Amino acid sequence: MGRKRNQRKSSHRGAPLSSHHSSQRSSLPPITMPPFKDEHILLIAPGSQMTLAQLGLPETFTPARFRFPTRMFPAEKKGEYEPYRVHERRQEIKVNNRTDTPKPDVEMKDTEAAAAESTPATGTPAKTDENVQNDVESTKTVEEVFYEEDLASDEGAIYPIANGRIVDWPCFFALLTHIYNTLSPPFHTPILLIGQPVWSARDREAITQFVFEKFKAPAFSLMDSALAACYGYGTATATVVDVGKGKVDVTAVTDFAVNEHGRGIALEGCGGDAMTDRLVELLGPKGFTREMCEQLKRSNITEILPPGTPLPGSSATARQSTNPAAAASTGGLDGDESAPRGPGDGTQTGIEGDNGDEDEGVLDVAAIVSGNPTEYLANVEKEKTSSKKGAVDPKGARLPNSKKEKASFQFEEFVQLEGEKATAHGARQYIRHTRDIEVSVERFLLTSPRSKVGNRLTGGILEDIATQIHHTILAVPDATKRSELWDSLIIVGCGSKVKGFTQALLATITQKFILSPSATIFTSEIPSNFTTPLPTGANTPAPMGQPGPMYHPAAHGVNPLLVAATHNNPGMPGTPSMDPSMVSHYRSTGHSQTPTSVKTLKLPEYFPDFKDQGNSNAPGASSGSAGGNPGASGTSQGGHGMEEAVFLGAQMAAKVVFVIDQGLSKGYMSRVEYNESGPSAIHEYIL
Amino acid sequence: MNPSNPPQAAEYGGDEVSAIVLDPGYSTTRAGFAGEDAPKSLIPTYYGKYNADGQEKLVFGDDVFVTPRPGLSIHNPIGRDGIVEDWDMAERVWEHSFISRLTGTKAGNPFQNGLNDVSPDELPTEMEVESEEKPLSDSPLLMTEPGWNPAKAREKTIEIAMEKWDTPAFYLARSGVLAAFASGKASALVIDIGASNISVTPIHDGMILKRGVQHSPLGGDYISSQINAIFKANSPQPITITPHYLISSKTAVEAGQPPQAKYKTFPADKAPDASYRALLEERTLSEFKECVVQVWPGPTKLSAPSPTGVSNEDLARNTPGRPFEFPDGYNQVFGVDRFRAVESLFDAKAAIPDPESPFPPPTPAQTIPELVKASLAGVDVDLRPHLLANVVVTGGSSLLYGFTDRLNHELMQMFPGPRVRVTAPGNTSERRFGSWIGGSILASLGTFHQMWISKKEYEEHGPNIVEKRCK
Repeated sequence: MGRKRNQRKSSHRGAPLSSHHSSQRSSLPPITMPPFKDEHILLIAPGSQMTLAQLGLPETFTPARFRFPTRMFPAEKKGEYEPYRVHERRQEIKVNNRTDTPKPDVEMKDTEAAAAESTPATGTPAKTDENVQNDVESTKTVEEVFYEEDLASDEGAIYPIANGRIVDWPCFFALLTHIYNTLSPPFHTPILLIGQPVWSARDREAITQFVFEKFKAPAFSLMDSALAACYGYGTATATVVDVGKGKVDVTAVTDFAVNEHGRGIALEGCGGDAMTDRLVELLGPKGFTREMCEQLKRSNITEILPPGTPLPGSSATARQSTNPAAAASTGGLDGDESAPRGPGDGTQTGIEGDNGDEDEGVLDVAAIVSGNPTEYLANVEKEKTSSKKGAVDPKGARLPNSKKEKASFQFEEFVQLEGEKATAHGARQYIRHTRDIEVSVERFLLTSPRSKVGNRLTGGILEDIATQIHHTILAVPDATKRSELWDSLIIVGCGSKVKGFTQALLATITQKFILSPSATIFTSEIPSNFTTPLPTGANTPAPMGQPGPMYHPAAHGVNPLLVAATHNNPGMPGTPSMDPSMVSHYRSTGHSQTPTSVKTLKLPEYFPDFKDQGNSNAPGASSGSAGGNPGASGTSQGGHGMEEAVFLGAQMAAKVVFVIDQGLSKGYMSRVEYNESGPSAIHEYIL
Repeated sequence: MNPSNPPQAAEYGGDEVSAIVLDPGYSTTRAGFAGEDAPKSLIPTYYGKYNADGQEKLVFGDDVFVTPRPGLSIHNPIGRDGIVEDWDMAERVWEHSFISRLTGTKAGNPFQNGLNDVSPDELPTEMEVESEEKPLSDSPLLMTEPGWNPAKAREKTIEIAMEKWDTPAFYLARSGVLAAFASGKASALVIDIGASNISVTPIHDGMILKRGVQHSPLGGDYISSQINAIFKANSPQPITITPHYLISSKTAVEAGQPPQAKYKTFPADKAPDASYRALLEERTLSEFKECVVQVWPGPTKLSAPSPTGVSNEDLARNTPGRPFEFPDGYNQVFGVDRFRAVESLFDAKAAIPDPESPFPPPTPAQTIPELVKASLAGVDVDLRPHLLANVVVTGGSSLLYGFTDRLNHELMQMFPGPRVRVTAPGNTSERRFGSWIGGSILASLGTFHQMWISKKEYEEHGPNIVEKRCK
């Protein structure tokens, strides 16, 4: 088989190229591998809930143009899948009655901003069925079978990805195919897929094989989502915390290399669902459904307060100086208001409402933790509430949300019309109901530890995440990088959209892990680089020319000694005491403890489109409305509004890998290489 | 090739699967694909056990460090001497190391059904069952073992690989030999400083010289026990380590002042076992080793007078101390103590006595210089100079600050005649994963393919074949 391949290849290689080149460029792709063009790059970023996709790189990078819910529905034939729920309806009809499938009159659950674009396209496959059906049976007056797409329903859906893991391969591939067909790229389209950290090497090979053999892609690159986030932020070194639906990934990236050891992969019970679960636990007895809790979580009245902040209405606005986590950790806490534990450690997921706050990102955690948290937050809140829509109750209109004991949010639901009217048309119709629901302080407790879950003893998900970050950074072998990692947190993922998530996480880290000054003050012996940022260009946005990991790190201004330390080849015969490699050894051990500080990275400000996506509380709106915070929040908030930095990074990486670098640095695997070495060679190219 | 033409279906038909290299140690287990420069998967060999909903649950991987669980206890399937004690659990831990990052839970080809039009009926049931039971059915496996692994354990290992994991080909290599390969040497004296053991392994032409293999328990865990002894004797007050999981918040205090932290309490029936606390204390201790502990650089022992007549201890006292903060916020500067913690690796008399330590006081024969001496005494006289010129240092605990300097001085004093050359990779991961990297090199060599023990041979000759083939 190998021989055959080679023959074919060589014959092509020998083919004259120049003659076709100019004439065919416009219509057909030329015969050599021409450079890839911006508009022919396919990006796909699968997530447990939503898969983002886009064909082509726009002038200035925008949030993903297409959002596909990561789910498929079993088609009638076993082993095949449909993007929407198709159900069968039998009806006596007269001849030639075109099915009239009115679209539901509301915006669909999962299609958000992109609904308008994606819906027509995604609708097609099943439509065809209908038409065929109609054509065939149009002459008779018989019982006719209608296949109709139920765009709003997720009944019977199969979610191929759970907690980042691919649990249903055929379904996952069907989803990829659906996305590919919907975007229908030309042949000469390289594909960049963002990979979940939890995917094993074999998983990646399987995907590689699928992409090359099914899509016939000329080039393919599989990029780790944590690395993509770094590209999005234009930094070579960062700690990426990806708060997803059911899991959290914590990754230390140094010099564009992912540190696999000690990486926190798919921590379960820490994602957005965990926060919803907690709300359900608290509010369920009060008659809240899960959907209500989900929307509450995404509403702008829900907020994670930094540990130690008193809950409004708790007797005394007196500051609750004890650490809520402590109380929480006893395990016996129920969501009982009389003993507010403070929202302690919470991670939240969910969309944050609109806080028009310009720079929440620069919240000074130290001020919160050591200073007067209430006051400080109140100030911040004051600014935020100014533009609030749903949540203001008249009396407390002036109070910041975190001070109000009660607040209400608008609950939206779709109710299916069951009446004759609906059935007459043979299509399901939905009507949108909205109503206001009032909630008490439970809305601040969504990250407090759950009382029922018996298998963990931690003080809530924020603490779990903080511990994982600590573990992950400590596991980075290059100790000199650790303090920089602490100072470069990137928080992405829709789970981090709950208001106050980032601040509360930083506060949790601060009170558990930050070293006191006296522990570091004596470090005279070896120069520590604690507060001196290394000249890595970490905060310098370098959008286009951003060298990928395929560049030698020395190329972008990393301290050459560091490079020597980390990339030193030890092969040199040892002159023991003078062994040059020993130098690096000294460097890494002569180091002090971390962290002395913890910060989130600022994200680049030159992608305005990433800052203002619309927001909505609509069910299913989870990922699209990411940018929820209109305006600047995205800019400075280090987490809020930029939870899709991964996709921004994917665009940057695609530009670098496919257009600028053109494969010189092994940024992608071409089909030629695939044919020669097979899927397992993808590991040499994985970014 | 013409990129505008679609390729034929399934152009790639080969199954060039690279071998998996599994390097199980006492403290961590390393696994990865042959040909790569570092193991993709690094997990603790420790595993956790707890009860939830009346069922016993097991925790593998880094999670044991991160999530405290009710009644969690920590175990290690490998004994202190580096030999497997609990085979069932060793199998589980090892399996986790490659399943979690390399092969996935379903080995075989999970994508077959997605790619090919297989008729729906024949697929799921059978295939899944089979592939889940046999996670390695398409990857050759190279495993490492300590030089003193008994024949029984070796047979048991191949049995697991062949019968439980269904690997098509297997090889068992000595970790010392592999560490030498990683340094590009076929003959070497490998000094491996691990967590539970230190070992000295002479290797000639890629073969282990069995009579020269020496090992003693003065590894990283022993150093931890010495540090603990220092903490106990600390003034003004003894230091106890309270791991992070017991602390909800801490307040900055001045050096030497009692900690002010808010502690967590767990109800007695939920509190994690003492073994869990010990594991996490160990984690703080390894941070301490990284940041504070230092090997007295020599050339003479810490207790000896220096050439200038001042005692070495006084010299050490005059070097600036290193601060360290404990999880509860207590912090202190450590002066000469930070040299004393490891001194007994070279000088048994310098051991800090601690009656409660699980380690008996070291005997002189257990120190590194004596191990080297004993090892060389076990090999042919003609080989000795060659071995001394190729000393390879590997193992995570050898990363202690100043270790190789001191080792070099000790060896030169002991063997003034021949030339002593110590090779120690400067790169942290190459030092920690020396034997894994050697395995990665070995298993990716084309010539190595004839050395594999194939499934067929195993079936023909039984597990005993490992004794004949893997010398």
